[in-house]
Amino acid sequence: MTQPIATGCGALGHTGLTRPLLREIATLLKRLVEEGKTDAIDLRSLPMSEADRNELETTLGRGEIHANVMVAGDSEVWETFYPGVWWVRHFGANHQIASESILITDVPDILKSDAADIKRAAVRLDVDLIEKETGTEKTSDRENAHE
Amino acid sequence: MSDDATLGDMLAKRGVSRRAFLKYAAYTASIMALPATSTKVIAQALAKARRQSVIWLSFQECTGCTESLTRSFSPTLEDLIFDFISLDYHHTLQAVSGDAAENARHTAMAENKGKYIVVVDGSVPIKDDGIYSTIAGMTNLDMLNETVKDAFAVVSVGTCAAFGGIPRAKPNPTGAVAISEIIKDKPLINISGCPPIPEAITGTLSYVLSFGKIPELDHLGRPKAFFGETIHDRCYRRPFYERGMFAKSFDDEGARNGWCLYELGCKGPVAYNTCATLKWNGGTSFPIQSGHGCLGCSEPDFWDMGGFYKPLSTSLGSVGTAAAAAAAAGAIVGAGSAMLARRHQENYLKDLADKDEEI
Repeated sequence: MTQPIATGCGALGHTGLTRPLLREIATLLKRLVEEGKTDAIDLRSLPMSEADRNELETTLGRGEIHANVMVAGDSEVWETFYPGVWWVRHFGANHQIASESILITDVPDILKSDAADIKRAAVRLDVDLIEKETGTEKTSDRENAHE
Repeated sequence: MSDDATLGDMLAKRGVSRRAFLKYAAYTASIMALPATSTKVIAQALAKARRQSVIWLSFQECTGCTESLTRSFSPTLEDLIFDFISLDYHHTLQAVSGDAAENARHTAMAENKGKYIVVVDGSVPIKDDGIYSTIAGMTNLDMLNETVKDAFAVVSVGTCAAFGGIPRAKPNPTGAVAISEIIKDKPLINISGCPPIPEAITGTLSYVLSFGKIPELDHLGRPKAFFGETIHDRCYRRPFYERGMFAKSFDDEGARNGWCLYELGCKGPVAYNTCATLKWNGGTSFPIQSGHGCLGCSEPDFWDMGGFYKPLSTSLGSVGTAAAAAAAAGAIVGAGSAMLARRHQENYLKDLADKDEEI
């Protein structure tokens, strides 16, 4: 028996998918302007080659905002060169990309504070200030929040 | 054990924000081919859900299915599933043993009557009254029937539980059968594979947790999101198949250039699974990318399909004829897959609208 040879799929080159995808993004962005309708494109579900992905990222470029979200692993969120077009990349095990989307919106939900979280924060801040004033403050909660 | 706190409350107590749900929902939507716009609704449903009690029964198996799910990486997005479920019994993983372990199973059954999910890996021997595999003095058959009686649903994880797998291979000395041959009166989901892809297990459980029902299944009881297309449909080597460019040995020029492994026995054209897209080990690779043909491990009786290195065409006719027919069939399957995917999303969007109204 001969030995199996591993060959990657990264070397496939351009598949021609980037151009129609960019057209779709342009259409969705116009719809956001005209109708206020947000949308999303799951990049992981598309049979894109590495070359396609690089072309898409280069064409859309990077805008003024780049955020790192650190909850349940790392995430990167950036506004592209075109305001209203956002790139959201969530990392999973071994820092592999677990989910990757283009969002057509003013602000991605992942960057907004959730109402339930804000409510809890208001209570917590009160408690923290009382503890600080009485010298009974604990740091464990804050440490836990960043785990 | 399960309690009345919602998953949102539970994570909040640990200082974890609702963003964790949004991330997990985006991940679930992606792996299940759901619309990317569904993320917010799934996140809201998960945050309001209660921790799902799961009883995991391991019968005639090799523990590979459990290894697949619990593979040891650093805590990440994918691991959130272990916060969303309460694994109340798993005799390989739990710390207690003997009566204490069996008591945990009975307690979970009583406390979550009608609500718990039974996950089974391994087939069940029924020959000679099932004496060939016992746990705590009970045959697998008795334990399965006792545990499933008050369950909400059953998930058969791995090809052994789904279709009998290797224990059922000829000559099947123990009379091994699939779970579906025993359990006839409960919703049952098959997640086949040897082992199954971990995302297929977690994605399916997350779907049940978010929507309170089982996902759309194929004719073999498998979630269409993961088993709706063949490996071949999504294989990056498929362009070579279409051009008739096949590797003739595992290290010839064709193999080095990534040509199709059809003539080396690849079962990709008849194997329904998502290895070519989700891949393995956090998306690193899958067997065909590593240079070996697919064994078709997610299909019934894959062990007895006539040899891993015999091309499918061996039993169908000459290589050329079968390959040409397969190429034509491939084009039809490709078109069919696209239709299937669209129908899947249409059905899902309807569910989503219903769920959105509830929230």
